[in-house]
Amino acid sequence: MRRGSLPAGIAAVVSATLFLAGCVPGADDGALPDGPDTLRILAGSEVKDMVPILEDAAEETGVKVVFEYTGTLEGTELVASGGAAGRYDATWFPNNRYLSLLPGAGQEISESVRIMSSPVVLGLRSDVAERLGWDAEPPTWAELAEAAAAGDFTYGMTNPAASNSGFSALVAVATALSGTGTALQERDIESVTPEMTKFFSAQKLTAGSSGWLAEKVVSEPDTVDGLINYESVLMGLELGGAPATIVTPSDGVVTSDYPLTLLQSATGKKEKFDALTDWLTTPEVQERIVREVHRRPAVPGVDTGGVFGDEVLFETPFPGTIDVANALISTYLDTVRAPSQSVFVLDTSGSMAGERIDALKASLSGLSGADTSTTGSFNQFRVRERITLLPFDDVPGAPTVVDVPETDKSGALEEIRSVTDGLHAEGGTAIYDSLREAYEVAVAQRAERPDTFVSIVLMTDGENANGSDAADFEYYYAGLGPDARGIPVFVVLFGDGDVDELTRVAELSGGQVFDALNGDLAGAFQEIRGYQ
Amino acid sequence: MAATTRRTVGLILATVLVIGIVVAIIVGRGMQAGPGGPAAGGGDLTVVTGVIGSEKKPFFDDPRVREEFARHGLDVRVTTAGSRQIATSVDLDGVDFVFPSSAPAADKAREVTGAETVHAPFYSPMVVASFEPIAELLEEAGVARRSDAGMWTLDMHAYLELVADDTRWNQLEGADDAYPSSRSILISSTDIRTSNSAAMYLAIASYVANGDNIVSGARQQDEVLDEMSALFLKQGYSADSSESPFEDYLSQGIGSKPLVMAYEAQFLGRQLNEATAAAITDDMVLLYPAPTILSKHSLVSLTDAGDQVGRLLTDDDALARLEAAYGFRPNDAAVFTSVLEESGVPVPPAPVDVVEPPAYESLEGMIQEIAERYDTSAPTEHPTADQ
Repeated sequence: MRRGSLPAGIAAVVSATLFLAGCVPGADDGALPDGPDTLRILAGSEVKDMVPILEDAAEETGVKVVFEYTGTLEGTELVASGGAAGRYDATWFPNNRYLSLLPGAGQEISESVRIMSSPVVLGLRSDVAERLGWDAEPPTWAELAEAAAAGDFTYGMTNPAASNSGFSALVAVATALSGTGTALQERDIESVTPEMTKFFSAQKLTAGSSGWLAEKVVSEPDTVDGLINYESVLMGLELGGAPATIVTPSDGVVTSDYPLTLLQSATGKKEKFDALTDWLTTPEVQERIVREVHRRPAVPGVDTGGVFGDEVLFETPFPGTIDVANALISTYLDTVRAPSQSVFVLDTSGSMAGERIDALKASLSGLSGADTSTTGSFNQFRVRERITLLPFDDVPGAPTVVDVPETDKSGALEEIRSVTDGLHAEGGTAIYDSLREAYEVAVAQRAERPDTFVSIVLMTDGENANGSDAADFEYYYAGLGPDARGIPVFVVLFGDGDVDELTRVAELSGGQVFDALNGDLAGAFQEIRGYQ
Repeated sequence: MAATTRRTVGLILATVLVIGIVVAIIVGRGMQAGPGGPAAGGGDLTVVTGVIGSEKKPFFDDPRVREEFARHGLDVRVTTAGSRQIATSVDLDGVDFVFPSSAPAADKAREVTGAETVHAPFYSPMVVASFEPIAELLEEAGVARRSDAGMWTLDMHAYLELVADDTRWNQLEGADDAYPSSRSILISSTDIRTSNSAAMYLAIASYVANGDNIVSGARQQDEVLDEMSALFLKQGYSADSSESPFEDYLSQGIGSKPLVMAYEAQFLGRQLNEATAAAITDDMVLLYPAPTILSKHSLVSLTDAGDQVGRLLTDDDALARLEAAYGFRPNDAAVFTSVLEESGVPVPPAPVDVVEPPAYESLEGMIQEIAERYDTSAPTEHPTADQ
């Protein structure tokens, strides 16, 4: 959860966005601005599209909303640990189920009101859906898994450890494949792993946020045939030049019900909370929610204009314990999904000396086992991954390649920590020579292991000072083959990095900019893990 | 500090009542007036505090209810707690009454506090909220039946057999058109570890599983435990509050919650309230479990002021009508009937196949054991660095 005063134009930074309705004055100390009429809400980025409606809410009810966005799992962990108390008045995640499973969460929550709902389903290019007959007859998850294994279609899905839509789909597919007809139990997970692996063999795109995933698929339509996402995101989405066909697996989906939740620590804001939730659940506003953000209404009797069809959505039961949920995520990360190969291009120039290089070491050390929080654990380098560390100053340094074995990963993590600890800040800044070197490494790695998610992370705190420049890089990039051009660069903005130039690199490669300008480098690295 | 003041108020009030003089007691603790605001007609009111099950909060917050209490000189202020926690984990210092939603919880509260007086002003039968097509499927399978008057009952013996056989919805005759879901047939409830309505479900099911006998003693508990645990563990995630699954039922409908354990009052209360009546659509039906259990809302008075609240809730005609308006059944069945009839809501007959819940210790003993199975159904595996 980072925040920063970014120049306009970097609107894509996922968790750093701050929304103010009703002109609440900003605060400098990192806390959300507060006031008697303000509700400070820790929210999933999914509800960003509610901003225009909330602006009207401020006008009509006098209740102003200030959002800070975070991933559902990360945010719920903060709430359960008591870290949200006093800092926020309310939460608004796609659902509270994961939160309710966490010990300690119950005491932190005062009450919640569901505002709208949306199931997590598959949106597919209409020609692919027709070819598979799924436009006429919705398939079961098992049929989807068979078709995936046969190479009949490909899709993108968010990382279940970072984003609720991915997690919802994972629960739905695992529960359906278990065939038990009831909530998933831990003993079921092992038996469904082979079938799950079939299904996820068709996943060719991953992301840390549902919104980013949708934008990516729209801007690069050749990447995948479809995506798993909220129905609300998929409605009206163009895939391959035509509206996506929404495929609702016939044996069950997991629906998000967007409960606006008042924290126990904020019961003084109860009146404002009631005013806002009452307004949001009026038939008029509910109809607006249907029309403008494509969510299903939370109250009965709202005219939906039939846009959701009349098909019955069978709701998949949700796991009953946190252990089942976490074991499912771990199985996905360690066994089921395609592993990732990540090249970390790390600035070790002179300007990184002192606090900055220490922050870099701490960030990588967190990913190598030091961060033991639940989300921190999920974000750690996983088994089967290949990590390449490519430090640079005047020139690119020698890359260190670490393969994390399938069984015991402690040795590999130890090696990463040891290489990181040895980093020394000195010399110039050859960003683009090093980035080219990273592409050479990444392209070779992809050729060696084609069924992997390959990406590059570029962390720099300064402007390019040595070797080729940004224009040279663009020329180089344009000359790469289509496969290589598909390798995204995730840029970490830190220190005095050139925001415009680096943003261009991220956009060019289909990557993403992560903001650590406020100094939270570890947070940026954690967030990037959702995309690898 | 505030709690001590309240206790003092209670004691003073006792004295006042004994000597039979009506004295207005000025109470000022800087608290906000309740939703009803200061009583109409002015005058200072005696503040009475209660801890209640959350399902009764809207009733106590209703301005008409507050006004009626004010007419009797009372300003009743309530905080909510899980009915089963009221007796064991709520600080009752300075509280005038507790009002859990079941007799076993009230018995426990009486035992813990040493209180003697219990009022049971109204009750609500446990029901299974469902949908017409589901009820008809179950009827076809011989599990549900509709009386000539149109009232549905759910045969709990037959239901438990369906669960024991792990019957899926799509295995029922006629399911292809009505409900082609591969999910197991299973009633959704709240979290058995925290919620009263789930405990009432357990009370019904354990009676049936125990050969139509109220479970009593460790041996009988052990015998039904596997079957009972499955009813809850198989549901997976279940919410703490009785409103939550019921709201899923209302807003997400048949695909999400084909069968939900609920209080009859949750359903009727919405039908009786103009603002919420639209939530109950034509295809929604109540199945009365046979046998069922009555959730007896039982007020345990800890002070004389609390006792007065209990007596008013039981004897005051205006309050009885308001109780009925929230879907509860006051002791006087005629009040219930007339309130529903005036609102044009069909009056469900009082269920006849009714059993008593187990004693508090037996019920809690079973719940404890089921709770342990949540923790041990899976070896604790937390993601760690060395995984």
